[in-house]
Amino acid sequence: MSILVKEYRHIIREPRTLWMVFLSPAFVLVALSTIFASGRSCINLALWDKDHTSLSRQFAATLSSDDDFSVSYVSGYGEVESLLMRQNIGAAVIIPPGFADKVQSSDAAPVQVILDGVDTFVAGQAAGSLLGHAADFGLALSRPLSRPPLPLQIRSRSAYLSGEAERESMIPALIPIVFSLPVMAAALALARERETGSLESLVATPVRGPEYLGGKLIAYVTTALVGLLPVWLETTLLFGVPFRGNPLLLALLTADFLLASVGMALFIGNLARSQQTATVIALFIFFVPGFFLTGMIEPIDTTNLLGSAISYALPSTHFVTICRAVFLKGANLVKMWRPSSALLILSIIWMGLGTLTFKKRVR
Amino acid sequence: MQDTLNRVWGLVKKEFLQLGRDKLLLGFILVAPLLELMLMGGITGGGVQNLPLAVVDLDRSRASRELFAKLDQTDELLIKAYSDSVAQAQEWMQSGRVSAIVVAPPGYGEGLLDPHASAEIHVIADGSSYVVSSAAIGAAESVAAEIVQDIAVRYGVAGGEAVELRFTARFNSALDGQPGAITMMLGLIVYQVTLVIASQSFTRERELGTLEQLRVTPLGRLELMIGKAIPTLLVGLVNCLLMTGVAVAWFDIPVRGSLLLLMLLTIPFILTQIGWGTLISLISRTQQQAMLSVFALAMLEIACSGFLSPASSLPEAMRLLSYFSSVQHYIKILRGVALRGAGLGALWLPALALAGIALSVTALAWLRLRLGLGTDLLKQRLQIWRHIYRRERRRRTGSRTRKLNAQKPQPAYVDVRVKE
Repeated sequence: MSILVKEYRHIIREPRTLWMVFLSPAFVLVALSTIFASGRSCINLALWDKDHTSLSRQFAATLSSDDDFSVSYVSGYGEVESLLMRQNIGAAVIIPPGFADKVQSSDAAPVQVILDGVDTFVAGQAAGSLLGHAADFGLALSRPLSRPPLPLQIRSRSAYLSGEAERESMIPALIPIVFSLPVMAAALALARERETGSLESLVATPVRGPEYLGGKLIAYVTTALVGLLPVWLETTLLFGVPFRGNPLLLALLTADFLLASVGMALFIGNLARSQQTATVIALFIFFVPGFFLTGMIEPIDTTNLLGSAISYALPSTHFVTICRAVFLKGANLVKMWRPSSALLILSIIWMGLGTLTFKKRVR
Repeated sequence: MQDTLNRVWGLVKKEFLQLGRDKLLLGFILVAPLLELMLMGGITGGGVQNLPLAVVDLDRSRASRELFAKLDQTDELLIKAYSDSVAQAQEWMQSGRVSAIVVAPPGYGEGLLDPHASAEIHVIADGSSYVVSSAAIGAAESVAAEIVQDIAVRYGVAGGEAVELRFTARFNSALDGQPGAITMMLGLIVYQVTLVIASQSFTRERELGTLEQLRVTPLGRLELMIGKAIPTLLVGLVNCLLMTGVAVAWFDIPVRGSLLLLMLLTIPFILTQIGWGTLISLISRTQQQAMLSVFALAMLEIACSGFLSPASSLPEAMRLLSYFSSVQHYIKILRGVALRGAGLGALWLPALALAGIALSVTALAWLRLRLGLGTDLLKQRLQIWRHIYRRERRRRTGSRTRKLNAQKPQPAYVDVRVKE
């Protein structure tokens, strides 16, 4: 108990630390969220019209008719090449001579498209919208073609989304990664005691290892949990993400997530002899994998065994699923039994490992 | 000059000794980046594959079975469950068992065969993950387009398109996602390692009390800064070189441009991180604060780096901010040199920007160092200034304010803190 009081004092004594443990998730969430605010992106396109007819100009006008592309005109392969090299354009469109003739006779007029293949995401987006614009162009010409009504119509919708799709689905998924800040603080708190030698003074006291760790764990979990409130308010009020689930359930599962992550952090803190080491290890585990392995952006590739094993060992992976389910799907605990029980098991494992590796002795 | 070199060399030696003493740290700094690159490179950039799909067949015709077989054959979708009711399938989606639902309503097969009518299918995708839902809908749409094409061919009404787009992908003809993903990872890993090492440098000494010892040595401030920077720079360069080796040997990523140019341009990138790290370590009182600041800064840089969404789609304010993000410029350089074979002629803009950022951040760190190594110094000065300002104001305004001010506690000049 006195350990708990001591830990709270540690956190509160430094206003900067308090601010960072309690408010930093909310602050970082704002920064990360703004990049999803705009939705559609505009791709820079170079256009080289070798045909110079009214039809080719009409095609060019179709391309720049909406916000998909910002078109700049070039003439010559050299210019296209240098724009590609300087990474100024995502794609280049070259209209060959004889374009208009081919369109007027009922052949398909070939148009060359050079995509920048390095960023495949942009390349795919560019190819998709170019195809769409080409089809629009064909329709606008209304060629004398016996085009029957489409025999098959597809009605698709993305469930659970109301407004800006990208933003609504990404912001709840960002919550786990912003909570890695207070979690990492816990790892450092433990390494700090070892480094500065205050652990030695604790050895002399009758405090037992699990009590000591428990105090640390509870202090950091509760402080971070209070930080959920600003995060929740910000997500729902500022960013307008719908919240369809139960707030208490979210709080409960966040606590579970924090127990698992802080347990993991204590394990790291036990391994590391200095705070520097703890920071390096924590960053390697929480930073890059936190973005790429948790299924936040792309779903987890289950064919890669090692990769998915690591993914499922990270508490964040399950919490990403839970956040999305609680916010957007309004799922209850029964629906989420799989990620929540996984989280429970992980929290037991990581807390156990943290306790087992802790040695209350002087090196 | 000779003395300066000697002193800096001494400090560099000390830093390396310290680094070498902690075997775990050394392992994490040198080996973990390679392992992480191998692991992440194998996973990311693969795109969306085999999303679990639930199909609801309300038509039970040959045509609907063909539709589902076609859906199952796509890369993106894999049928996981069959159901008779849409409501049940939606339950499954809510619990996360399936990511998409395709419904063939009654009359689908007949509508498809009847040249005067049209058929309909419904696709519901799990919008809670944007990437998943757009991939699933895209796959279903391409299957539908395929069916339409088949029917058109069967009835001989296949009309030619007005325009036929012929795509070629430059630098990466197969449009493989891996080179882009690995260059991004490489940049981010170099970034995190150098920033972390630099950010702990002064804070660690302060917290352990060895900073005072360093201050009584003849080391000047600039020498201190250079001596602290050199080990980080070397570690960062070695890391970058080793990881490039892994990328080339393990993942077959080409380095089409000059490796020397890449390494030369890596130097200002690492120097920027050293500058930021030094700045953070001078401001922070404990290593915990330093680490939290590092993480917050890293998140901002990642947000600006254009890896989650391309930089051109950022809102105006963020785009302005992103010009100051060294990661963004470095990724451009990395991809330019390695994947495009670009030279300095094509990369002068990001290279210049990177050099400018490195210079200004280092200058900021230097200014902060000149202010003094105590964290409370700035605060003390502020308090003194505030006090002078208040005294001035009190002298000018009437007695009412004086009375009010008298009730207020006076600001403390010196922040007294007992070291634990």
